[in-house]
Amino acid sequence: MKWRLLALAGGSLLFLLACLVLAKVSPLEAGQTLVQGSLGSAAALTGTLRETTPLLIAGLAVFIALRAGLFNIGVEGQLTIGAFCCSVVALRLPGFLGIVVGLIAGMAGGALWALPAGWIKAYRNGHEVITTIMLNSVAVFLTTYLAAGPFKAPNQQEPSTEVLSDGSHLPVLLSIRALHINVGLVLGLMAVAVCTVWLSKTVSGFRFQATGANPVAARFAGVETKPTVMRAMLLSGALAGFGGAVQVCAYEFRFYEGFSPGYGFDALGVALLAGNSAVGVVPASLLFGILAKGGTALQIDGVPKGITVVVLGLLILIAAAIRYRKVNVVA
Amino acid sequence: MLNILLLTLTLSTPLILAAMGGFCSERSGVINIGLEGLMLTSACVVAISSPSCGAFGGVLLGVVAAIVLSVIHWVATQHYRIDHVISGMAVNALAAGGTNYLFGRFGDVDKGAMPILNEKFFVGIAFILPFLIWLYVGRTRGGLRLQAVGSDPEKARLAGLNPVLIRLGGLICCGVFTGLGGAMLVSYTGVFTNDMTAGRGYIALAALIVGGWRPLPALGACVAFGFLYALRLQFQGVTVLSMQPPSQLWAALPYVATVLALAGFVGKSRTPAGLGKY
Repeated sequence: MKWRLLALAGGSLLFLLACLVLAKVSPLEAGQTLVQGSLGSAAALTGTLRETTPLLIAGLAVFIALRAGLFNIGVEGQLTIGAFCCSVVALRLPGFLGIVVGLIAGMAGGALWALPAGWIKAYRNGHEVITTIMLNSVAVFLTTYLAAGPFKAPNQQEPSTEVLSDGSHLPVLLSIRALHINVGLVLGLMAVAVCTVWLSKTVSGFRFQATGANPVAARFAGVETKPTVMRAMLLSGALAGFGGAVQVCAYEFRFYEGFSPGYGFDALGVALLAGNSAVGVVPASLLFGILAKGGTALQIDGVPKGITVVVLGLLILIAAAIRYRKVNVVA
Repeated sequence: MLNILLLTLTLSTPLILAAMGGFCSERSGVINIGLEGLMLTSACVVAISSPSCGAFGGVLLGVVAAIVLSVIHWVATQHYRIDHVISGMAVNALAAGGTNYLFGRFGDVDKGAMPILNEKFFVGIAFILPFLIWLYVGRTRGGLRLQAVGSDPEKARLAGLNPVLIRLGGLICCGVFTGLGGAMLVSYTGVFTNDMTAGRGYIALAALIVGGWRPLPALGACVAFGFLYALRLQFQGVTVLSMQPPSQLWAALPYVATVLALAGFVGKSRTPAGLGKY
């Protein structure tokens, strides 16, 4: 089996090199630009960590759902709704209270947006991949309408809410010269820690993983799998909404049209690369943060940003070939 | 009224073609979330190659590109035994990134107007195809084998069939039909834009599911979804009951309908029993 994996990895690498050479870009230079643009300086590293934050939390959201056997492709929409709810609520409350209630509102919004998909999966047997993707589109239309209409800031050209006042920003925790680390990143890491402990040390966490590993066996062991599936989807949605809310409070300070440049989809790659433990989400999201920030640097050099999405697809294939093989194999 | 009917026929065509592609794949037992990516890739390749290869050559190349991607899905699911949904997502990522990259590099706008096949060509195929597939799958040896492999690959193997090879056939057909669907999209609009399929692959899949994995009911479901797209074009900005609904409402209609359809219609019994099995 080993040579097959090698063939897959080698083929992917060749494909990538062919893409770069076809576009008359030297692969070495492209790699250098990517690393330089994401890790080369304190400012670049700050940008990478900024990109990492939403990927970390959204990746955790996908990961939690995946542990319960669900593909939550809807993180994109849940994050968008969460960000919108957070910005609307935080605008109306002062200072610290605004952050706290805003984050909670974001989680509630995300969970609410995941509810139909969870219900349809658990009780109507409709595949969650299709419903969540449809809800992603609906989320974009809904928030665009709201941000362009009832909640539009009068002084903005594009559909956008007002900007949060300084008191409602999540502060920078640590500043070493040009390197800034925001509290948002720490909140994300804390969420990862909580989920790791919860999944491995508690009964409800175990029920989750049992449902994901083998729903039939879990049912025989006395786990009510349908409510568990619902709960998994709601929790995943709440985490995704939390990610959107943190993004608003820590970095963007407002909601605008096209808020998420595809965090939910990158998060899917993060979760698949993370492996069996929630802790794996941390290095995986950092890798995708580097790709995202480095991809922007490549774009300035004239390489279309799509190349990083191609890398994402190849990474998903390789990771899945190692970990997510079907085991019910007939000889 | 006639206008909206014609619009429905045109707008449901890419959905029907993709749904028939999905049928060939899923009826043989391969879950295919990647329809979206196949359509997008084909649309992109048609847009890039048409100015130099002519309308027909462009469509041909687009279909070939979709077949290549479809075969990648086949290798991933049948040889590497990757979870079908994950492989499908990877195919979609490859398509989304790859088309962005290709079109950013080679999609010259100054090549002049691109020659396109008349959309009636695609509409004709789309409305004949489901009947042909219905006949083929129910009445011929090859079609019954496709169904057998999709229903129980293990028993099919014991009966002397090779599920892996038959699925290759199914996925190549999937590439052809879905690729035509993508080519139709770009022929209809005349330009390629990033992510221009906008979920049509998933909606086609939902139509297939609502139609119980049968070609003719799936055709009906696709026409229903096409009607919603037509409503959007027809009623955007029109005053209804002295109110003007926001354009986003009409735009969201097909997506909301898909969620509702999956909430209401999905029965367990009609799912091909061997879906995702080996």
